[in-house]
Amino acid sequence: MPASASSAVSGAAPALTVRRLRKAFGAVIAVDEVSLDAAPGEFLSLLGPSGCGKSTLLRMIAGLVEPDGGQIVLAGEDITRQPVHRRNLGLVFQSYALFPHMTVFENVAFGLRRRAVPPAELGPRVERMLELVRLGPLGARHPRELSGGQQQRVALARALVTEPRVLLLDEPLSNLDALLRDEMRVELKRLQERLGTTMIFVTHDQAEALILSDRVVVMEAGRVEQVGRPEEVYRRPATAFVARFLGRANFLAGTVTETGPATAVVTLDGGRLSIVAGPRAGLQRGQPVHAVIRQEAIRLEPPDGAGERPNQFAATVVFHAFAGQAHHYVIQLADGRELEVAAPGAALPLARGTRTRAAWSPEDVILLPETGPGGAR
Amino acid sequence: MSRGWRLLAPALLLLLVAFAVPVGMLVPTSVRPYVPLVGITDGFTLRHYVKLVTDSYYLEIIGRTLVLGLTVTGATLVIGYPVAFFLARTRSRWRNWLTILVVFPLMLNLVVRTFGWIALLAQNGLVNQALQSLGLVDGPVKLLFNFAGLLIGLTHIFLPFMVLVLIGAIQNIPRDVEDAARVLGASWGGAFFRVTLPLSAPGILSGSILVFVLTISALVTPRLLGGPTYQVMSTLIYDEFLQRLNWPAGSAQSLLLTAMVLALIYLSSRLARRSGATA
Repeated sequence: MPASASSAVSGAAPALTVRRLRKAFGAVIAVDEVSLDAAPGEFLSLLGPSGCGKSTLLRMIAGLVEPDGGQIVLAGEDITRQPVHRRNLGLVFQSYALFPHMTVFENVAFGLRRRAVPPAELGPRVERMLELVRLGPLGARHPRELSGGQQQRVALARALVTEPRVLLLDEPLSNLDALLRDEMRVELKRLQERLGTTMIFVTHDQAEALILSDRVVVMEAGRVEQVGRPEEVYRRPATAFVARFLGRANFLAGTVTETGPATAVVTLDGGRLSIVAGPRAGLQRGQPVHAVIRQEAIRLEPPDGAGERPNQFAATVVFHAFAGQAHHYVIQLADGRELEVAAPGAALPLARGTRTRAAWSPEDVILLPETGPGGAR
Repeated sequence: MSRGWRLLAPALLLLLVAFAVPVGMLVPTSVRPYVPLVGITDGFTLRHYVKLVTDSYYLEIIGRTLVLGLTVTGATLVIGYPVAFFLARTRSRWRNWLTILVVFPLMLNLVVRTFGWIALLAQNGLVNQALQSLGLVDGPVKLLFNFAGLLIGLTHIFLPFMVLVLIGAIQNIPRDVEDAARVLGASWGGAFFRVTLPLSAPGILSGSILVFVLTISALVTPRLLGGPTYQVMSTLIYDEFLQRLNWPAGSAQSLLLTAMVLALIYLSSRLARRSGATA
């Protein structure tokens, strides 16, 4: 389904519109009728596993890959057939793609020189941009004399100095080590807020997409699965793929046995356990569904004192590991099924074999109608 | 001695036995007097060297050899670069076959190939017949036993070396870097001349050194296509040693040729370091 995402940030005309864009490489359809909008100043992420078509989509927008069909509109102007060098876009590569035979200054000045910016203006503009990415004194260096993070900043400065209409970023942080990646994320986000540049950011890292984006476009097999704000795609995934891709979750197959205005009840396969979920439109009794519960939505409480609240299950801890921010558990319910749980790292750990009680709120249960393959785990 | 040096030992030994020792042995020979009909005599003289740099006959041959080397290098570069660029960049499934086609001439015997050129370039050879029947020339053009013949033959023979070296160099240039230049506003030509070409400079340099050295030391092709009278340094040295039996003069000429090659390699490596192209 080509999901057309209307601008969620503002009502202004979109900075970039992609309409029914298509690209096949031989028999493989890389991008399949994708449509989306990016509002001016929006940070839009294209999120998906490798090979989902997100990079091809970005390269088509940049003009490096010719689409088989569809339309790319930049600020009201159809640029589908415009040559790369006339599009006035910025592109940051995963490999940085700096010019190794030029100094940092010349790398950043490259785009301005192509635009015949007079020398009196060029120097100050390059210097200002280098200041902005905190590379002020390094203009005379060559890229090979810089660290990975510094090279990435040069790439950003080079792409931003021409004041592109849209900045495209192709997994720009993937080659950095974890610590530096976190740092660059913050820096990138602050840079974007400061400059107000519309950014399209390709990534396979769901945490990165959630943290940085105004909206996330989740892609799979060349198609858009869902477009929405980070909370939306995380809490209300439209498909099993989105639910699975955005964070670890437990998938419980079952059948809807009751539907009401405030709740729905799902009897899990095996018949011994029922869980209560928030309402969802279009559910019918007897319909097979997957109940998806994120691992951090499950609370582990003392075994007694269940009270009247729904979704309380006696359980036994069968695995525990500490991961700093969280304790990772695998617990076993009465019917033998196992659930993955992430509890806050500050809590006291529960040893293997501890009897406990798993609890979760109905609104934390995501119900996904079962649709063909890819539903169950 | 560190482990790294030990890895080099076999090659260094070979270099010593097959290059340094023979060249070293030429030095004493080159300063011995040569008396016609008698042979090498005892004594010390620099006249073989003096003659090389003063006698116009020798100077012409040295100059011709250098010009030939430069022209063949330039020709292989101009013809080979587009071929190498295509082969390095194409995703065609014919790519491997096309590469084999480039290398194919190397698999044929050198003498056979050179005789092929004689048949083509002769007074009434194929090329002259074609030129005349097309009305491009009035009479047959002299393409053998002169500069044109050597240039054509040697360019053909050494083209594969240039192409192979350039393919490697161009493949080493990341596509992203070219794409980055184009996204930043460079046209295809702009990206090529500002990014691709400078980044392939190391390959251009090594390919050029290779072809230049091969050209000025080639013997069989210049001998066959140049005939007995149109001399270059290698044929001159050959005749000096084996026809005239003037070993001292031949030694001096050999050492000059070796010195020219070494000087060229030294100069070009300095050039490479200065331009920073070896990054």
